[in-house]
Amino acid sequence: MIAAIDLKKFFGPVAAVNGVTFTARDGQVTGLLGPNGAGKTTTLRMLYGVMRPDGGAIEVDHIDATRHPREAQARLGVLPDLVGLYPRLTAREQVHYYGELHGLSGEVLKARTDDLLKTLDLTHLAERRSAGYSHGERAKVAIARALVHEPQNVILDEPTNGLDVMSTRAVRAIIKRLKAEGKCVLFSSHVMQEVSALCDSIVVIAGGTVVAHGTPDELRAKAGYDNLEDAFVALAGAGEPR
Amino acid sequence: MTFGAHLPPWARQARVVLVKELVDSFRDKRALSSILLSILVGPLITGFMMNRIADRQREADDVRIPIVGARNAPALVQWLSQQSGVVVATGPTDPEQAVREQSEYVVLIVPSDYADDFRSSRPAGIKVVADSARADTRAQVQRVQGLLQQYNAEIGALRLIGRGVSPAAATPLKIEGVEVSTTQQRAAKLLSVIPLMVLLAAFTGAMQLATDATAGERERGSLEALLVNPVPRGALALGKVTASALSGMLAVMVTAGLCTALLRFIPLQELGMRFRFGTPHMVGLMAAALPLCLLTASVQSCVATLAKSFKEAQTYMGILILAPMLIGVMGTLYPIDHQPWMFGVPLLGQYVLLTSVLGGYSPGPLAFAAAALTCVASAALMLRATVALLNDERIVFGR
Repeated sequence: MIAAIDLKKFFGPVAAVNGVTFTARDGQVTGLLGPNGAGKTTTLRMLYGVMRPDGGAIEVDHIDATRHPREAQARLGVLPDLVGLYPRLTAREQVHYYGELHGLSGEVLKARTDDLLKTLDLTHLAERRSAGYSHGERAKVAIARALVHEPQNVILDEPTNGLDVMSTRAVRAIIKRLKAEGKCVLFSSHVMQEVSALCDSIVVIAGGTVVAHGTPDELRAKAGYDNLEDAFVALAGAGEPR
Repeated sequence: MTFGAHLPPWARQARVVLVKELVDSFRDKRALSSILLSILVGPLITGFMMNRIADRQREADDVRIPIVGARNAPALVQWLSQQSGVVVATGPTDPEQAVREQSEYVVLIVPSDYADDFRSSRPAGIKVVADSARADTRAQVQRVQGLLQQYNAEIGALRLIGRGVSPAAATPLKIEGVEVSTTQQRAAKLLSVIPLMVLLAAFTGAMQLATDATAGERERGSLEALLVNPVPRGALALGKVTASALSGMLAVMVTAGLCTALLRFIPLQELGMRFRFGTPHMVGLMAAALPLCLLTASVQSCVATLAKSFKEAQTYMGILILAPMLIGVMGTLYPIDHQPWMFGVPLLGQYVLLTSVLGGYSPGPLAFAAAALTCVASAALMLRATVALLNDERIVFGR
């Protein structure tokens, strides 16, 4: 479970995130939906502990993440905004590196790596260096290394951004599997179909604040549109300062 | 992996980072070859130059003088052939062409009127054909000219005595040249380049990894993902700096090994140097230079973390490397008078230790300890600074 409580983040005079509150529950997929520049990435960065909030609190499985960032991070699997790989390491080594940083080793690490590479259809890349990978292959390796320690909570920042249909399906399959395993999945997106197809709960953010929060049906009802995209435009627009 | 099972988690994580960085950088063939090149060039050039100096020294002692028209001056030819190391030969048909083509470095031409002029005490012409643009034969040409001057002076003195005049009257000046830069000294100066090369290796060896693991990590976009792992920034920095330091140490060992190997091949005795390089010297070199790698790696990592881009980091590396060069050049030009306080100054201390060891003089364990300690202490400070930078969001996400 991940909880953001009145999160705030300022860059100079600009309030990138200005009072964001929501909870992503276990066994659910929560979508963070918003236009570009709405504060999605900044919110997620605070949640996964690479940015300190200027105000508010974060809880990861009831651990105060701002006071115990490493404990919180140990319970998180993250696909961050930037997913650079090490060009001279193979897919297996990239996953291994993260596993070892989480304290895994030996047979356990090997078994989990094999399982992830297989699930994400990366077995053919296992022993190949990542220098020549396609965008989709890179994204899948980044997801594999984020999940190697079997985290209870998974945060994915625009996981399908720029991926082709096949890779997008693989990512969706992973999200569904994680949900079935009772994990808490939080991902950001600006792609409507994806959010409506996957999410149990949607947090619409715009201008650094939460403008709506609920199930897809609730959001449609609140905005007064049957189409989720229209609902999103109406909701997001409401948050934009004009 | 049973080794290190007793280590605290942060130390195990630092080791994971260390191993990954080493594996990663040793696969970087281009970076590796550029490091290797910069390490190899210095010792090889020095060795080559030392050999040339020794060769020239040897060649100048043995000169072969081809003479055209030798029968015009039998006395001169006989006098020349009696000088030690001189071999007189028959000159080529076209002396100037022979010198130009470098088949001869010097040719003497004795014209047919030499004998007449000589007998009637007129200055007898003699030509020395040489190419002054050729630096490598200058020693031989000078030797030949010196011999002719000597013959000239001897005959002149004899003629004056024959006329009842003291030869001293014809030499109002007694010019004595005091040559400061003898061949031996030039060779010794070249030897003094070794400490500089060892210091440089501590910089160049650590540099690539220090920049790649910090500025490179960020530029590749892998830093954010790395920071998401539950690893204290200190463990990350420690692993990266240690990897970079080990790479620097490897470079130092290769450089020192190469220099000592070269010293065995160079005919030092012919250069008038009694230099015996043995295991104690090698141990001394290592004890002096290896702790420095901790400092170079941590300074470079800190500066590269601060840099906005990989390019900028490389520029800073170029500036940092000026520090050992400055010390090395100063040390070569003006021999540094060793003072006890110098051992406590990082870099300067190492330079003084290295020159002492190569000079066959041991400054004592206390000096080594002081130099190592200041290095480790300042490395620790730089490590802390790097950790502080990694905790700064503006650094992590670029400004």
